[in-house]
Amino acid sequence: MSSTTTAAARTGLGPPVLCVLDRAYRGAVEVQFFHALYGLLDLHGQFQRVDVALRGAAVTMAVEEDVYRPSVRLGTMTLDTLPDYRGSVRDLIAEDFTVYVDRDAVTALGFAPERLVAGTICVDAAELALRWPEYDQVWFV
Amino acid sequence: MAVMERRMWDLLLILTAAPHSGDVVTSALRLSQAVLDRGGSVRVWACGYANMMTQDTFGDTKLPNTRDPKGHYPSPSAVVQRMIADGEGRFGWIACTACSEERGAVHHVPQVRHRSPLRLARTIASARQTLYLGGA
Repeated sequence: MSSTTTAAARTGLGPPVLCVLDRAYRGAVEVQFFHALYGLLDLHGQFQRVDVALRGAAVTMAVEEDVYRPSVRLGTMTLDTLPDYRGSVRDLIAEDFTVYVDRDAVTALGFAPERLVAGTICVDAAELALRWPEYDQVWFV
Repeated sequence: MAVMERRMWDLLLILTAAPHSGDVVTSALRLSQAVLDRGGSVRVWACGYANMMTQDTFGDTKLPNTRDPKGHYPSPSAVVQRMIADGEGRFGWIACTACSEERGAVHHVPQVRHRSPLRLARTIASARQTLYLGGA
């Protein structure tokens, strides 16, 4: 199909973008996989570069842990398809996104920066601001 | 003949926060399940954007997950329908007709009751406890 060719030709057309996420929780049962990080993963191919900065409570998405299983029982149904944010952060890293995590928010929430998902970059707020000129656009997602 | 008694529900949850504003829907459903597990009865009154959750246009599943195309992800309306079925009369869901109409979201799954906001006080009176979740 010619659409395949078109899609390939469009890849990377968009400008380099930094996506800033401040708000972490936007639903779970009704959202499942369809959360903000999933959207970014699927946008990737359309832009030259898409990077992510997690700030505020959103930094918890990048705190590594492998004990808690996001799952809830509702009626006779066990819903184990709730958002897996750190899994999505690992996916972002695996797909060559740069993921910045705001250090002040991490420590303010009582987490050690060493507990962040491997490959994420823990930065001070001022350092993050210095990187803005590397992008044509900064989106507040 | 016997005098008709108005049914009393143990808990009424008035869901005023928009689903995307936080984990309010998950909280409402978990709280409902906890009450059901204790043998109680719960009714949810969907206010505002919470009325989008039970539209019959969702079908049973969410849109395909491009990263897990074979995965099964129930739609919000399917979750509500399932809880109503499993609750066997102890779980109910009310759509606010004004909020639904205001959003053009009037096609609810058939298990959902349609109720005018003019009956809000009566609905509160038929619950032993009422909790508002979120802000409008």
